[in-house]
Amino acid sequence: MLARIVTAATFLLSLASTPLLAQQAGGTLVLIAQPEPPTLASYLSTSGPIGLVAPKIYNGLLDYDLDLNPIGELARDHQISDDGLTVTFQLEEGVLWHDGEPFTSEDVRFTIMEVLKQFHPRGPSSFREVSSIDTPDPLTAVFNLERPAPYMIRALSAYESPMVPKHLLEGKDIREADLASNPVGTGPFRFVEWKKGQYIRLDRNEDYWKEGYPLLDRIVARVIPDASTRTAAMENGEVHYGAFGAIPNVDVVRLREDESIGVTTDGYAMINPMALLEFDTTRPPFDSEAVRQAVSLVVDRQFLIDNIWFGYGKPATSALSSNYEPLGLYVATDNYPATPNVEAAVALLDEAGLAADADGVRASAVLDLIPYGEEWRRAGEYMKQALGDVGIELELRYEDVPTWLKRVYTDYDFAINMNYFYQLPDPVIGVHRHYSSDQIRQGTPFVNASRYSNPELDELLVAGSITEDEQERAGIYERVQGILAEDLPVVNLFEMQFLTVYNEKLKDHTVTATGPYSSFDRAYLEE
Amino acid sequence: MSFWRRFARNRSALLGLAILAVVILIALGASLLFPEDPFRLVGRPMSAPGSNDFLLGSDTLGRDVAAGIAHGARVSLLIGLLATTVAVALGVVLGGIAGYFGGWIDDLVMRVTEMFQTIPSFLFAILLVAIMKPSIQSIVIAISVVSWPAVARLVRGEFTALRNREFVQACHIVGMGDLRIMLREILPNCLSPIIVTGSLMVATAILIESGLSFLGLGDPNVISWGFQIGAGRTVLRSAWWVCTFPGIAILLTVLAINLVGEGLNDALNPRLRER
Amino acid sequence: MTLAARRVRYVLKRLLQAVPVVLAIVVVNFFLLQLAEGDAVDVLAGEAGSATPEYMAQLREKFGLDQPLVVQLAVYVKNMLMLDLGYSFRHDMPVAQLVLDRLVPTLLLMVCTILVAVGLGIVLGLLAASGLNTWRDNLISVFALVSYATPLFWVGLMMIVVFSLNLGWFPTSGMENVAMFHEGWDRVKDIAHHLVMPVITLSLFYLALYTRLMRASMLEQAGMDYVTTARAKGLTERRIVFVHILRNALLPVLTMAGVQIGALIGGSVIVESVFAWPGLGMLAFEALFARDLNLLLGIFLLSALLVVAINLVIDLLYSFLDPRIEVG
Repeated sequence: MLARIVTAATFLLSLASTPLLAQQAGGTLVLIAQPEPPTLASYLSTSGPIGLVAPKIYNGLLDYDLDLNPIGELARDHQISDDGLTVTFQLEEGVLWHDGEPFTSEDVRFTIMEVLKQFHPRGPSSFREVSSIDTPDPLTAVFNLERPAPYMIRALSAYESPMVPKHLLEGKDIREADLASNPVGTGPFRFVEWKKGQYIRLDRNEDYWKEGYPLLDRIVARVIPDASTRTAAMENGEVHYGAFGAIPNVDVVRLREDESIGVTTDGYAMINPMALLEFDTTRPPFDSEAVRQAVSLVVDRQFLIDNIWFGYGKPATSALSSNYEPLGLYVATDNYPATPNVEAAVALLDEAGLAADADGVRASAVLDLIPYGEEWRRAGEYMKQALGDVGIELELRYEDVPTWLKRVYTDYDFAINMNYFYQLPDPVIGVHRHYSSDQIRQGTPFVNASRYSNPELDELLVAGSITEDEQERAGIYERVQGILAEDLPVVNLFEMQFLTVYNEKLKDHTVTATGPYSSFDRAYLEE
Repeated sequence: MSFWRRFARNRSALLGLAILAVVILIALGASLLFPEDPFRLVGRPMSAPGSNDFLLGSDTLGRDVAAGIAHGARVSLLIGLLATTVAVALGVVLGGIAGYFGGWIDDLVMRVTEMFQTIPSFLFAILLVAIMKPSIQSIVIAISVVSWPAVARLVRGEFTALRNREFVQACHIVGMGDLRIMLREILPNCLSPIIVTGSLMVATAILIESGLSFLGLGDPNVISWGFQIGAGRTVLRSAWWVCTFPGIAILLTVLAINLVGEGLNDALNPRLRER
Repeated sequence: MTLAARRVRYVLKRLLQAVPVVLAIVVVNFFLLQLAEGDAVDVLAGEAGSATPEYMAQLREKFGLDQPLVVQLAVYVKNMLMLDLGYSFRHDMPVAQLVLDRLVPTLLLMVCTILVAVGLGIVLGLLAASGLNTWRDNLISVFALVSYATPLFWVGLMMIVVFSLNLGWFPTSGMENVAMFHEGWDRVKDIAHHLVMPVITLSLFYLALYTRLMRASMLEQAGMDYVTTARAKGLTERRIVFVHILRNALLPVLTMAGVQIGALIGGSVIVESVFAWPGLGMLAFEALFARDLNLLLGIFLLSALLVVAINLVIDLLYSFLDPRIEVG
């Protein structure tokens, strides 16, 4: 009898102390969407701002914890066969689309095979090996692969591969479908209204499949074009959350001191942004390996990080980001100094036969800059001074986005282009596109515009994408990085650190690796 | 009383002239005062004015703000004056002809100015610079193109109002030629609004250039006050000196030009002299 | 022909002339925009993160961008005559709706700004002119100049820092409070509250022009013969200033105001950007950089119609104010 009482008492005590009461349901989260997303069709576009809103509406099969391990979302469990050719997903029960229809494995099959593989910018390469998907029952989806694809399992987040409703898209022109402006998903928030130029409003999904969630009543994504105004709105408590550099770094330095505001660099591990220089390797002066190496040696990476990005960033030390270290794929290489080695650079230039004329000028070129923000202009201005010191005279060129895109990626009318790219959760998805010969596709933006082509490297890249064994893969990528450190068709400058600035009242917003691109179902606002 | 003496009686006009003279001297002497290229990264970034040997501080890359202001004076003044001169010349000629002759000429010119006006001017400037790719030349052209219609309409209005005045009719009776009437009789009487508009336009030109830099359409290879303001705006709350000093430079220059303009106006307009 | 009849004929003539003018504007704008490098598909592809040439070709076909220029123009003009402003492929919405959504915020901002700027400008100009060369005159002139010459974004940001962050009197930005979603009268008050700082910022800028113009105009009129005559006739100074001089002095001021009202539709890109005000200025700006030509042409068309109408009204007002100005 006493034992029973003790047990009961213990049980009651433990109930009383559960943290459930600490989370408060309710509240409207106002986050910054900068720039305004062009569409909410995350199944057609990987434009950054879409990721701030769409994954709250749509779910993916998986999410990833802060150590990059897959955790279940719509797929509560999954298994990969020993030969790597079959991946089976068990789906959550009782999931409903926002319009009330049930979510089944048919939706999974339709999304991957008919939508993502066909129309998504990265879908065709992420799901290249998927030849078919079986749906033995409404809660099971079986992926059949031609060859093993170890990277694929990392491309299943709500942002990267959102599950879309078959019953609303089947038989329609996927690109024209109304779903793009009136999204219907299975996510914790349902789409209510989009006032262009002002805000996007999402209300809580009362029938969300995860019991007890979401906690917030509403999420409103606000559009604020001016950076200083965004900072002011954050300081004033009018917005609670700004990711991907919505708050400029220089203001973050100031806001860090404010107790009511928090800053984190977490939540970007799936992105791996890298600032870099792309060269046109087919024309002088950058057709010479030695010249490109010289450029890499002259750039003061630490200076860029300290003065333009105000301390946020890590000098690049290889063609791959050091964030791949947990996967064992990263290795530091030569030719990537954090601070300049001017003598070595000058020696290389002399060796390359680029002699200085009477004014000390060895070569001249135009530096094109990515037109997304002030920091890149400063970086360009710095580059002009730095390269000018070793005799490479640069003229800076700012153009608007369409002009720049067309010039660099369609017309190939550039010498050096400063840009930044996401290396993404696996190099196959984000890195190969710079170096692989089959990625020289004129007219397609953000692929191999250097027109670099190395058959030995191509073979290694293919091997890297199909090898399952981690050790073997590590060895392959070590050789890849070694080759690229010499050839340098692209010179990586530094690994960018994106920042999320948030009001301390907002809790549990960065609980998975997808950070700003996650569903926010657990997020809540403290009173 | 001679023109210069009339001008000199206006103390604020003299002040304006003095300021303008200083600005022009600095512009001309920039290479002597600051021999280094203003784009060079010469010291510790984000230095406050007076620290680290920087008179007016340094910006985020370590460039000397004072050097930038001195060298930029030349460019900004040039942009302002050139663009305004072209715009005013064009506006006066077309507006004058339209206002004086009336009829179909007036209709034609007015419809043409309407066409230019229909695109909001700042947007039009942005459009032109975007098309011509940002550079000092494209900025000057854009500002001129955008500014002349306002002058034309103003001048046309004045000419229309004046052409039927008695003194003009008297000239007709006497047999004076059209050109002579326009230049010697009508134009001097509407010089006031033209001078006022013109002097404000120099300011506008310099301000449009800084506005364009704010929006990312400045010329990245030439230092100008607009460039400095554009480069400094993101650090306005952390390093206020980077864009405030160029802003003050613009302010003083604009003030000076306008005071001089006012002085000219007062001096040219004999009937005001008595007051 | 009576004066009234002449005026009517003039109005009709101008309206008739308006048609080819607007048409010419559309054609010129169309070709002007074509001069810009790159097209909407380039932008979409760039934003999407990547796109195959096949996809881009498909998009171009869908948007009608692969047709020869003359055909594209003909299609646009045809639609325009049927009052169909076309479709914005980028926003996935009809242009008319996009423009309409932003029309009210733009009008709110610009009308309030013009009223404040012109009203205040006339008053200040009068005060300055009547106290010629005194400290009052100089102070007003300097104040007007300073507010004009200070970069708009600086004024805007300073207002935000002082009045929003430090004093907490106004919200930093936006048109309404999106955490609250007010309705009815509360919403009107909310919007008015948000309107204050953008209007003040923009008015300060326009103030200079009207103040200076009014002052110069007043002074010019004061020196005219008819004033000497009036004085000789024994009229009071007060009557001379307010009835005779003022009426004539207002002419250039009105012309300027007219020119600026015509530019109303353009909004103000900088103020809209700094205060996140959802106006047509920002819409046009973004449309330009996204090469959303249908949208941009739609905005220009609206602007054209407004300018033509306003110019006509101004010219008529001129003739009312000064009977010696002929009409027609």
